[in-house]
Amino acid sequence: MARKVAIVEDDFDQRENYRDALEKSGYLVDTYANRREALSGMRSNMPDLAILDIMLENEMDGGFDLCRDLRALSPTLPIIFLTARDTDIDRVSGLRLDAWDYLTKPLNMQYLSVRINSLFRIVDSLALGPETNQRNNAMVINDLEINEDSMSIRWKGKELSLTLTEFWLIESMARHPGHVKTYENMMTITRQSYVERNTINGYIRRIRNKFKEIDPNFKHIQTVFGVGYKWNTDG
Amino acid sequence: MKIRTGFSIRTKLLLVGMLLLLIPWMSYQYVREMKTYLLTGQEQALSLTSRAVATVLHDRPELFNEESQIDPSNLDDNEIYAAPLPNYINLNGDLSDWGEAAKQAEQFLPTPGEQPIASDNVIEVKHTLGYRGNFIYALFEVLDDHVLLRPKKFLRVDAADHIRLTLQDPGSSPKRYTLIAREPGRMSIYLMDQAWQYPISGEPNYDLAAELSLTDDGYNVELRIPRFMLSSDTRISMMVVDVDDPESRTIAATVPTTPQSENDELSKLLVESPRITKILKGLDRAETRIWVFNKDKRVRTVVGNLVTEVNDPEIDKPSNETGLDYVWQMVRYYYSSALQTIFTYIIEQPSSELADRSIEERNDKILQDALSGSISSDRRPSLDKQSTILMSAHPIFLGDGILGAVVVEQSTNQVLRQQRETLENVISVTLLVLITVATALLIFASRLTVRIRRLRNATETAIDRDGRIVHQRLNAEAKSGDEIGDLSRSVSNMLGRLSQYTSYLRGLPDTLAHEVSNPLNVVNSSLHNLSEEIPESANSKYMERAKNGLNRIGMILRNLTEAANLEQAMQSETRETVDLIELIENYVDGYSFSNPEQRFEVLIHSRPIMVEIAPDYIAQALDKLVDNAIDFAAPDTAIVFKLRRLDNFAQIDIINQGSRLPEGMAERIFEPLVSLGRKDAQKISLGMGLYIVKLIASFHGGDVIARNLLSSDGVIFSLSLPIHDPQSQSYAYQN
Repeated sequence: MARKVAIVEDDFDQRENYRDALEKSGYLVDTYANRREALSGMRSNMPDLAILDIMLENEMDGGFDLCRDLRALSPTLPIIFLTARDTDIDRVSGLRLDAWDYLTKPLNMQYLSVRINSLFRIVDSLALGPETNQRNNAMVINDLEINEDSMSIRWKGKELSLTLTEFWLIESMARHPGHVKTYENMMTITRQSYVERNTINGYIRRIRNKFKEIDPNFKHIQTVFGVGYKWNTDG
Repeated sequence: MKIRTGFSIRTKLLLVGMLLLLIPWMSYQYVREMKTYLLTGQEQALSLTSRAVATVLHDRPELFNEESQIDPSNLDDNEIYAAPLPNYINLNGDLSDWGEAAKQAEQFLPTPGEQPIASDNVIEVKHTLGYRGNFIYALFEVLDDHVLLRPKKFLRVDAADHIRLTLQDPGSSPKRYTLIAREPGRMSIYLMDQAWQYPISGEPNYDLAAELSLTDDGYNVELRIPRFMLSSDTRISMMVVDVDDPESRTIAATVPTTPQSENDELSKLLVESPRITKILKGLDRAETRIWVFNKDKRVRTVVGNLVTEVNDPEIDKPSNETGLDYVWQMVRYYYSSALQTIFTYIIEQPSSELADRSIEERNDKILQDALSGSISSDRRPSLDKQSTILMSAHPIFLGDGILGAVVVEQSTNQVLRQQRETLENVISVTLLVLITVATALLIFASRLTVRIRRLRNATETAIDRDGRIVHQRLNAEAKSGDEIGDLSRSVSNMLGRLSQYTSYLRGLPDTLAHEVSNPLNVVNSSLHNLSEEIPESANSKYMERAKNGLNRIGMILRNLTEAANLEQAMQSETRETVDLIELIENYVDGYSFSNPEQRFEVLIHSRPIMVEIAPDYIAQALDKLVDNAIDFAAPDTAIVFKLRRLDNFAQIDIINQGSRLPEGMAERIFEPLVSLGRKDAQKISLGMGLYIVKLIASFHGGDVIARNLLSSDGVIFSLSLPIHDPQSQSYAYQN
């Protein structure tokens, strides 16, 4: 049975392009142009995944508000934000909205499919329950535990709540501890259209902060100035 | 940029205050006017007086008759009589001009004084008294066996042969004059103390004049006394004093030539017609002298006295006061002496042209006019040069003829005194006002200056060096109700509007990027869908180029939003304390690793240099600087890093050989959207890179500057960061 994806985007052309691309990838697609429509539509017709543009018509933070409303309807609904600005990502974290992922415009349609796929994989693996996750595909490096299926990472036994991009970045570094991941490598890993060094720095900063919430002395991600980052096993 | 031309407000206000100095100048002008006016008034009053006196004397020829002359035989004991002289007497030792009068000289012998007269001392005096015109003349023919003149450098003036003259006006103390000579010729005449020993002041008296000439058996003295020294009531006594012993120089004998009354009263000198005098007595006025002349210019009578001294209140230098009193006295003393000095300059002295006239001529002119029937007035300096004497003459008529003339004299010193007092008051008051106003102005100006300076400082700090608005409101003077407060408030307003505008401008790239990103997204997703729909289009070169173009547009948007995003992101950045040297070395290693073709040199002056930074951002700034350096470096030259400490700053110099910065670019290069252009057209140059470096430097409390190398072609960028001081509080944002 095909998965249903809801797209909330006020720009007709973009909305229709997303719809075409995703339908080609085999998803069912509902489209909404604004918050009101989206909320009433999804109430009666709950999708499996929602893609929300943050700016909706004249509401600067329409996407954020909509996210809160949807969370009230379904705590587990995977949500992807579409942002026009890097800083919006920080705002999402700041607002503590349970977004699974976010993408900056302009979108790369291939990456969009990949991400949606990955998210559904996570949904599936979560549905199997935690004990299966423990056994399969768990990679352990010191205190770090990476589960490829559920795309989850534990540090010292505690799970970090990560976005897809964050997961991919940690995983790529931890896979080769002590090896420098250059910015160029990381840009590819993020699977986004335009990525700047600053964007990478922003991701790493957010990742470090998430580790530090669990372990204030976390120092395993090391900056290699001018080049990139590496995972230090003896941080 | 400090352009300060001209004076500060304080100086200007003080200069304006200086205008107060016009007050004394104006008062001086006013006082001069007043003086002229007063003198004119005085002259009119005088001429009225002279007319009044003349009116009294009109048609009374009996007053001018010779019969009414005093009969010398009817004199009282203490009255002496001066006979009219035929000529003016020349004081020259030649007695011929005395005419008959010399022959009628009386003989006087010494009177026994305190010491007995030596029997072998020959001393005898022949004495004549007469008058002519405005002068009384006295002749002393002295027979003396030892004529002893005054020795040089001898202070006492009673130690040689001399003549004593005493004048006394009723109600005032007697004036004693000693006539003495060092050699034949003009004698010195001094006002003496009570004991007749020392002059009261060293200044000789010039109103009186006397000439001494030696004879075979003694000496002669001619003495001239101006009539103005004698009022109708003045008493007089004269005495010849003989000193014979040149060693002891004691007084050997005294020969009085005026009657010696029992009670030491002086004699009254009668020269004029007593009847006219009696008439004039009623007209006697203070400080006025009235002469009556007959038509031969002989004085018939003179009444009244002139006061010619301008009395300055003398303030002595303080001597026995202490403390504040002393200071106050000193101030007063110097103040008044300063005023004296000023007055000698500003108060008109009697003109010298008048002073050159001989004594005889002084009122001759107007007397001549009056005797020829016209009324006239004139001015002359007083004999002591202290003031001006106003004179007015009026003829006395007898029918159609002229009987004589009245001359009235009055000194102007009352006017002068008034002038002085007024001026003194004005000057004192002005000084006081000036000091008060100057002080007030100074305080006011200082306050104003302080306030304006405060406002200036607030205004200057409201915008930082890079032109960003730090404070939108000025607190300085914001609540003042005056113009400065107004200014402060309008500057605040301006800043508010400016900051709205700048925030709009700063948000513009972001908004723009945001707006552009949507259509870009449309194009992007459409291309993707197109290549899905028409698979052969995916490999078309045009698809490739379209994607390239899209990428470039995307990069431009990134660049545009980078600065704004960075500023927001840095707010939440935590800093670490790291060794800058190590960071740079790592950085250069890393950079070399990813750009192996580029050579680097690192020169380190000292290590470690601890700084408190957000390493990612510093690395980003270095990226921009190094990219820039590589862009402009001449081929095959190394990029040089220089690291050193300068006081409290760590300085990173990044030097590249190659083209120089154009004139005036060194400052502007860090502004947003200022670009030097790139060699590679495919590379995007929005001129945001160095602006971002500047942002990062400012965020760390440091700075970045660019300049051309002095020695060779090339450019040096210097990034300075504050050294971490472990004592000081971290100034990272606490979120």
